[in-house]
Amino acid sequence: MNILSVQNLKKHFGGVRAVDGCSLTIKTGTVMGLIGPNGAGKTTMFNLISGFAKGSGKIIFKGRPTDNLPPYKVAQRGMVRTFQIPHALTKMTVLDNLMLAPKAQAGERIWNVWLRPQSVKTQDIRIKEKSRDVLRFFEIEHLENEYAGALSGGQKKLLEMARAIMIDPSLMLLDEPFAGVNPTLSRKISEYIDELRESGMTFLIIEHDIPAITRISDRITVMNAGKIMTEGTPDEVKQNRDVLNAYLGDEG
Amino acid sequence: MIEYVCVVFPYVTTILLISTIYAVFALGLNLEWGFTGLINFGHVAFLAIGAYTTAMLNLGGCPLVLSVVGGTVMAGLFGLLLGIPTLRLREDYLAIVTVGFSEVLRFILLNEEWLTRGPFGIYGFDRPFQDVIPCQYYNISLLILFVAILIIVYTSLEKLVHSPWGRVLKSVREDETVPAALGKNVFSYKLQSLAIGSAIAGLAGAMLALYLQYIDPGTFKPVETFYAWIIVILGGTASNKGTIVGALILWTLFSATKFINPYLPFTAHQMGAFRMIMIGLLLMLLMMHKPEGIFGKKEELALSD
Ligand SMILES: Nc1ncnc2c1ncn2[C@@H]1O[C@H](COP(=O)(O)OP(=O)(O)OP(=O)(O)O)[C@@H](O)[C@H]1O
Ligand SMILES: [Mg+2]
Repeated sequence: MNILSVQNLKKHFGGVRAVDGCSLTIKTGTVMGLIGPNGAGKTTMFNLISGFAKGSGKIIFKGRPTDNLPPYKVAQRGMVRTFQIPHALTKMTVLDNLMLAPKAQAGERIWNVWLRPQSVKTQDIRIKEKSRDVLRFFEIEHLENEYAGALSGGQKKLLEMARAIMIDPSLMLLDEPFAGVNPTLSRKISEYIDELRESGMTFLIIEHDIPAITRISDRITVMNAGKIMTEGTPDEVKQNRDVLNAYLGDEG
Repeated sequence: MIEYVCVVFPYVTTILLISTIYAVFALGLNLEWGFTGLINFGHVAFLAIGAYTTAMLNLGGCPLVLSVVGGTVMAGLFGLLLGIPTLRLREDYLAIVTVGFSEVLRFILLNEEWLTRGPFGIYGFDRPFQDVIPCQYYNISLLILFVAILIIVYTSLEKLVHSPWGRVLKSVREDETVPAALGKNVFSYKLQSLAIGSAIAGLAGAMLALYLQYIDPGTFKPVETFYAWIIVILGGTASNKGTIVGALILWTLFSATKFINPYLPFTAHQMGAFRMIMIGLLLMLLMMHKPEGIFGKKEELALSD
């Protein structure tokens, strides 16, 4: 089954055709890599799929169209995205950044806060425990009470991914999750993604780190100048002449 | 000595009464600006709506308690009404619309005499427990009532801002993209914050009407909004405790300038300006040395970076 299918997506910025008629499908429980040179339109694709940018074309997520939904409704349906430039909430603590994320918290409703404080509290404690587990995995648990503004660039990247995981999404869009992350942790994250995929989560991942993305992806889509060049298994893509010329060079 | 206490005590009671009212008023703004980042430059409008609604309902035969509730709810409804068209737009729209609304409202209060008695103002509505409490204890009893209201507002707000609901507000304040990406309906949270903040201002308006026993359009000049902002910034943005302390400081200072009045060669009008200069200086000094306000947290400073 396909969890996501986009058809003929287009987005122009003045004369720049950032995304120019892209179609793409992702099978549930797989990892799809999205690669391509700088300015190819990868992040713009993410913005369109997650509802942060409006263009033309069809987006079907879990069998229902989402192209007219605001971002928060897309997220509520189970799709979460991270940002290439991390959006850490710098004036909140690391722990609060994570605790913000879970969906439909009882304490997000005013009357529950006033009238059912006990159940709000119980749920919040559970969320806190889960947040700590996730922070431990990303090896930033010692920073839980720091304001996120005090984190390094790489740590903010990790925080962003940790926060996204907190909402238990069925599809995760990760924009360059390995950029600026040290090699050991980056390998650990790859393994974690593998683990999550085993449990049924689906991923669409933008990444310039070719060895890493070929290692974790089931299939890879290559974009160039707003168009999709090719799509296939990592091996097929690595052997594609055009891709070699346009993007990979000797690396493939 | 006894005489001295008898003079000073009522004076202190008066300062505390006004401080309590302005503390409640500013707590509403602190929810909107301090915790949500909403810029409301017409906060006084909701004070006016609360005061007028309470007074008019009571004059129309409604029991006082229900009139106060009516004033509070009405102000909250107007908050919703202003929020619905503006809160989806860029943040400066709310600032523009609220400032416009507060001025338009003042003109309506001034000119629609059939409804508001215009410049003659409204009086003759009930005072709380007016028949049961002897005159000399009246203000102190009113103060006890107002402090009780302040405590209720304060604790309810503290519960809210430290809840998951408050967490979402703070995320909206800093970067709307994040809560949106996580599935939170940012518009709805902003609207709730504005409505609750406005309702609280309405409650403060009801308190003001009960205290003054006379309200007219001149009571609700734009400078009242400015006072609320001073209180919040002074006490520490996003600190409810700081807001209450800020209200106390502001009104103590205002009153203190009255004591030194006889020693200064100023007319009443110049004295008003002198007060504002003093307050301005105080704020400048504070911003230079502790920009986050007395109880604010530096790391959460709304205006930094
Ligand atoms: N908001 C915008 N306004 C104008 N042009 C934009 C905007 N966003 C993206 N573009 C343009 O669209 C094109 C695609 O940008 P995009 O960010 O999608 O690239 P990318 O593939 O993510 O690149 P990178 O690997 O460098 O992150 C670029 O030419 C960029 O200049
Ligand atoms: Mg990009």
